[in-house]
Amino acid sequence: MTHDRRDTGLGDLALEAALRRVWAAAHGLWGLLATVDHKAIGRRYIATAFGFLILGGLLALAMRWQLSHPEARLLDPDRYNQVFTMHGSNMMFLFAVPVMEAMGVYFVPLMVGTRNIAFPRLNAFSYWVYLAGGLLLWGAFLLEMGPDVGWFAYVPLSGPQYSAGKRADIWAQMITFTEISALAVAVGLVVTVFKQRAPGMTLDRMPLFVWAMLVTAFVVILAMPAVVTASTALILDRLVGTHFFNPAEGGDVLLWQHLFWFFGHPEVYIIFIPAVGMVSTIIATFCRRPVFGYLAMVLALVGIGLLAFGLWVHHMFTTGLPRLGESFFTASSMAIAVPSGLQIFCWLATLWGARPRLAVPMLYVLAFLFTFVLGGMTGVMVASVPLDTQLHDSYFVVAHFHYVLIGGAVFPLLGAIHYWFPKLTGRMMGARPGRWECLLVFAGFNLTFFPMHILGLWGMPRRVYTYQPELPWAGLNLFASLSAVLLAAGFLLFFWNAWRSARHGAPAGENPWGAPTLEWATASPPPPWNFTRIPVVGSASPLWDSMGELTVAEGLRTDRRELLVTSVMDATPEARESSPQDSIWPLLAAIATSVMLVWSIFTPWAVVWGSIPIAVTLIGWFWPRGTPEDES
Amino acid sequence: MRKPSRPRPAAGVSVRQAVPLGLVLLALCGCRREAREVRLDPPVAAALAGVAAMPNGIGGRPPEVYFVLGKPYRGNAYQLSEGKRLYAWFGCPECHRDGEGSGRGPSLLDGWWNHGPGIETIYLSIRDGRPGGMPPYRTRLTHEQLWQLAGYVQVLGAYSASAAAPGRSDQVQSRPAENRAPARFAPLEP
Ligand code: HEC
Repeated sequence: MTHDRRDTGLGDLALEAALRRVWAAAHGLWGLLATVDHKAIGRRYIATAFGFLILGGLLALAMRWQLSHPEARLLDPDRYNQVFTMHGSNMMFLFAVPVMEAMGVYFVPLMVGTRNIAFPRLNAFSYWVYLAGGLLLWGAFLLEMGPDVGWFAYVPLSGPQYSAGKRADIWAQMITFTEISALAVAVGLVVTVFKQRAPGMTLDRMPLFVWAMLVTAFVVILAMPAVVTASTALILDRLVGTHFFNPAEGGDVLLWQHLFWFFGHPEVYIIFIPAVGMVSTIIATFCRRPVFGYLAMVLALVGIGLLAFGLWVHHMFTTGLPRLGESFFTASSMAIAVPSGLQIFCWLATLWGARPRLAVPMLYVLAFLFTFVLGGMTGVMVASVPLDTQLHDSYFVVAHFHYVLIGGAVFPLLGAIHYWFPKLTGRMMGARPGRWECLLVFAGFNLTFFPMHILGLWGMPRRVYTYQPELPWAGLNLFASLSAVLLAAGFLLFFWNAWRSARHGAPAGENPWGAPTLEWATASPPPPWNFTRIPVVGSASPLWDSMGELTVAEGLRTDRRELLVTSVMDATPEARESSPQDSIWPLLAAIATSVMLVWSIFTPWAVVWGSIPIAVTLIGWFWPRGTPEDES
Repeated sequence: MRKPSRPRPAAGVSVRQAVPLGLVLLALCGCRREAREVRLDPPVAAALAGVAAMPNGIGGRPPEVYFVLGKPYRGNAYQLSEGKRLYAWFGCPECHRDGEGSGRGPSLLDGWWNHGPGIETIYLSIRDGRPGGMPPYRTRLTHEQLWQLAGYVQVLGAYSASAAAPGRSDQVQSRPAENRAPARFAPLEP
C-alpha cells in the first residue's frame, strides 16, 4: 500500500475534483437507478413518503365527506371498509415509519460526519422494496382488492374464513415489504452511528437526533420480527391452511393480537422517538443553547425505547384478560408518561428565559408541545381499564391517537422539513407561507379532532360508514368535516410552499440558522462525498464551540470511496474502510423479491421458484469486481 | 413485473401498447374477482330466476344476466365465500358433510355428479331438489343465494383450485380447504 493516493497535503480544489471522480453518480437514468448515495435515496424516500401522505389524506377527506351528514351516499360500506383500512395502513406503514427512517437515512450520516451510510447498497435495496410495497397496496386498491380488515387486521376477521379473496393477503404482504425495508434501514443506521462517527464524537457528544434514530433503529430491529411472524402465520393460514389462529385445531385467536401489538405499540414509538430528536434539534438551534439535561434526555429516549415493549397489552383490555395482567399493563402504560414528561420538562427548561427565535420550525415545535401534551393526557385516560372499557373502539380513541401521531410526530416532522430544507435542496423554505401553513394546520387539526373526543364520549363507534339521523352526532361530525377542509388547506399550502421554494427559494448558505451540528458544516445540499475532509469533534455542539474553524482528519485515500471507522464509545479512529460503489443489483434484487412476495399470495410454490431469481441477483450483487473498493 | 398475472405482449403488439392494455385487462379481471355487490338491483335479482331448464331438470342455460354480470358466482371470491356460509347455515352438512358425503347424501367433491356438472344443473338440484332425497330450497333462499350456493358447490368439486376459492374454516378440519386443489386429493366415493 505504498502507491495509493491520499488526501494529505492536497489543495481543496484538487481534493474535490478527486473525490468527485470516485463519489459522483453516473449521469442519466442509469445513475438514478444505480446510485447508493444516502442523500439521493433519503430524498427519494422522503418524497415518496410524502406522496403517500397526500394519497392517505385524500382518503381521509373522503371519509370525512361520508361522515359529514347522516346516511351519506358517497361511499358504500364495502368501499368504506377499504378506505379506512387503506388510510390507516398507508399512513402507518407507507408514510410515518418510512418518512422517519428516511430522515435518518439522509441526516444521520451528515450529523455524525461520515461520507455515506453503512451498507449503502442495502439502503438502496430497502427503498426499492418499500416502493414496491406501496405500489402493491395502492394497485390493489384501484382493482377493488384493497384490504378491508382495518390496519391491524384482527383474526378471525382477516383469517381464511371471514375474509374472502386476496384482500387480507395484500395487507399481510404489504407488511412484509415494509418490514424488509425498515429492517434494512435500521441495520444501516445502527452501524453508521456506532462505527462511522467523526473522530472525537464520543457517545455523549452525539446529537440528540442521532440518539433518537439509534434508539428507533433498535426498536425496529426488536419489534419487526413479531409482526413478521404474525403476518407470515396469517398468510399461511389463509393460503395453505395452517392453524395458527384456528382455536378448533389448537390455534389461538388472541395470539394474533399479542404478536401484532408487541410490534404495533413500539411502532408508535418508532414514529414518535425520531420526532423527539427533531424537536430537540430545533429547540437547541432556535434557543441558541444546548438542550437542558442532555443525559436525562438520552436516558428518557432509551427508557421510552425499552418501556415501549412492556405495554402492548393495553390495546387488548377488552379481550377479557386476567385482572393482574390488566393492572400490570395499566401501570406500565402510565409509567411511560414519566420519561415523556421528563422530556417535556427538559424542553421547557431549555425554552425558559431563552427568548427563542420564532422561525417556522419553532412554531411547529410549539404546536407540537401543546397538541402532544393533550394527546398524552387522553393516553393516560385510556390507559386505565374502566375508562378504556367504555371508550374502546369509539371516536375517543380515534381522537387520541391522531393527537399523539399528528401532534407528536407530524408537526415536528413538518418543522424538521422547514428546518432542514436548505440541506435537502440548497434553498430556504418560504417563511411567510410557512407561518400561515403552520397556523392552518394547527387550527385545522385541533378543530377537526377535538370534537371527536366528545363524539366518542357520546358513543359514536369508530369504523362506521354512516349513522342514522336520530343519533345526536350530526352536528359535531359536520363541524369536524368542515375543519378537515381547513387542515387540508394547511397541508396544501405546505406542499405548494415546498414545491415553490425548491425552485425559487432564497439560496441558503452552509449554515443559515447558525446551528451547532455537523450537517451544517458542509455545502447545502452536500456534495456526494458529504465532507471534503472528515471533521474532528471536540464537543457536543462543534459548530458553536469551534468558532468557525473546524479541525479535520487527513490521510484518507482519494482513488476509491473511503471513510473512517471509529470505536463505539470514544470514536477514536480505528481503520479506513471502503464504501461500496454504485450498483444496479439492489434494484434487480428488489424486483426479484417483490415478484416472489406478490406471487406467493397466489401459490406457496412461488417461494420455491421465486427464490431462484433472488439468489441470482444476490450473487450478482456480491460478485467481486476487482475495483479498489473490493480490496482489504 | 410486480403482478405475475399480467399477460405477456402478443407478437405484433409493441411494449408501449401492451402495458396499458395489460393494465386494463388486469383491472377488468381484478375488478370482477374482488368486487362486492352487497345488494343487487331488484330487476337483476329477479332476472336471476330465468334459467332455461331441460324438462328432466338436467342441463339447460343460465339466465342471460348471469353472463352479463361476468359469471360472478363461479369466479368471484366474495360470492363463493357467501355460498360457503349458506352451505353451513342451511344444513347442507347434515347430509353432505364438508362435501365428502354421508349415508344421507352423496359426496360433492369426488368429481362425480349424478345429475351433471354444469352450474345450472347444480342450481336446479338445490332449487328443486332431487328425487333421491335432496330437499328443494326454492322457498328458503333467494335466487341470488341459490346461485351463490351453486357456485360454491361447483368449486368444491372442481379438479383444480382457483385463486378465488375460499380458504379453510375455523373448525376441526375433515379435508383440505377449497383453495387447496381439492378434488385431486379427495378420497374416492365409498
Ligand atoms: C336431507 C339430506 C340433504 C340435505 C339437507 C341436502 N342434500 Fe343435497 N342431496 C341429498 C341427496 C340424497 C342427494 C342425491 C339426490 C339424487 O341423486 O337423486 C343430493 C344431491 C345434491 C346435489 C346433486 C349432486 C349430484 O351429484 O348431481 C347437490 C348439488 C346438492 N345435493 C346440494 C345440496 C346443498 C347445496 C344443500 C344445502 C343447501 C343440500 N344439498 C342439502 C341430500 C341432502
